[in-house]
Amino acid sequence: MEALRPFDKLPAVNSAALLLVGADGSAQQRLAEAVLREPKAFKISIHLAASLPLPAERDHLRPRIDLIVFIIDIKSKYSLKNVEASLAHVDASFFLGKVCFLVTGVGRVNNCSIEMNAIWKLRDTYCSPVLLCELESEKIQATTAQRLLRMLQICAGHVPGVSALTFGSLMRSSADD
Amino acid sequence: MAEPGGAEPEPEPEPEPEPGPEVTVNIPFLIRLREQLKQQLMECQTAARAYQGGCPDHDVEEKATTECMQNLENELEKIKTSFKNKTLFMQRMQFADALRKKMAENDGEARLIVDTVLNTVELSQAIIEFQKETRDIEDKMNALRRKRLILRQAEEDKLQKIHLMMKKIKELGSKEVNEMLEKIRKNLQTERAMTTVIQNVFQSIIIGSQVNWAEDPSLKAIVLQLEKNVSESGR
Repeated sequence: MEALRPFDKLPAVNSAALLLVGADGSAQQRLAEAVLREPKAFKISIHLAASLPLPAERDHLRPRIDLIVFIIDIKSKYSLKNVEASLAHVDASFFLGKVCFLVTGVGRVNNCSIEMNAIWKLRDTYCSPVLLCELESEKIQATTAQRLLRMLQICAGHVPGVSALTFGSLMRSSADD
Repeated sequence: MAEPGGAEPEPEPEPEPEPGPEVTVNIPFLIRLREQLKQQLMECQTAARAYQGGCPDHDVEEKATTECMQNLENELEKIKTSFKNKTLFMQRMQFADALRKKMAENDGEARLIVDTVLNTVELSQAIIEFQKETRDIEDKMNALRRKRLILRQAEEDKLQKIHLMMKKIKELGSKEVNEMLEKIRKNLQTERAMTTVIQNVFQSIIIGSQVNWAEDPSLKAIVLQLEKNVSESGR
């Protein structure tokens, strides 16, 4: 029942861990496979979860989580509620750039159940970037995977000179136009 | 928790020197690992320092922190742009240096580069000359426009003055001038009448005194003058 903390554990050498939290398991699976398909120079481990808090039994086996991606499906209000409930179990220091919101299903505008205002409110309250994507299309899936991989690299500290906080502020200043 | 990296050979130093290519593959990897560890160390240190500082969240301090944050973000932007400019400048210097070195060797590509550079220089000179001419012509045009403006303003002034004068004349013509002319005419008439009377009186005195005025030249002059005057004013 403890909150996830970013600096609880020591990082492993040349590796990074990504946590995908979302209600739709199959979409998560496909996205994880797309991320694994991308060429990369470090070891990556992807953890999938339907909601937080993560079960405490296997906590000692888990590596340090570098980036949490909350997946919100624009067609289901339940995913938004799920994500909002899980956000309470994340430590505040995670939101300094190590959290990202991924909104899927934006290709079909006629099926929207969630207002974009709610998404922007999430973005403003938690000061985290929001990525929009459509996981049905292969190309967009690959692009999203590349973006997530790059963010993961930065959040895991593999890019010298760019920290997660810098990247977060960069994303925010360009989105505030 | 140090683990050896993926597929590369063991990075531990060996007693005998390794063959060349293997060493060159190892070292960049080691350097990259070192950079990663340094970055991760910096992040952990920052986080530890942040935790030690404590997290006050009273409303009063919230405003101060948001202002602080905005200031820091502005400074960050400034530093980012200055860094970007410096990088551009450095890249430009490197580029120029590479070009110079290339031009120093005299092979076919270098000649092409030299020709292009000379062409660029000629075109730039032509551009500068044309810009100078343009500026001169623009200056002349501006001077002409200024003159035209001054002339137009003078024209307006003159027209206004004419307008005012015409108005004045109309007013005067209607009232005062006529009155004044009337008065002057009346005065003149009375003066003339008086002069006639006085001349007649002089004549009658001279004639009535029965002096022989034809002999005395001065008296003759006076009477003739008076005759003339009487005949003139009798008109």
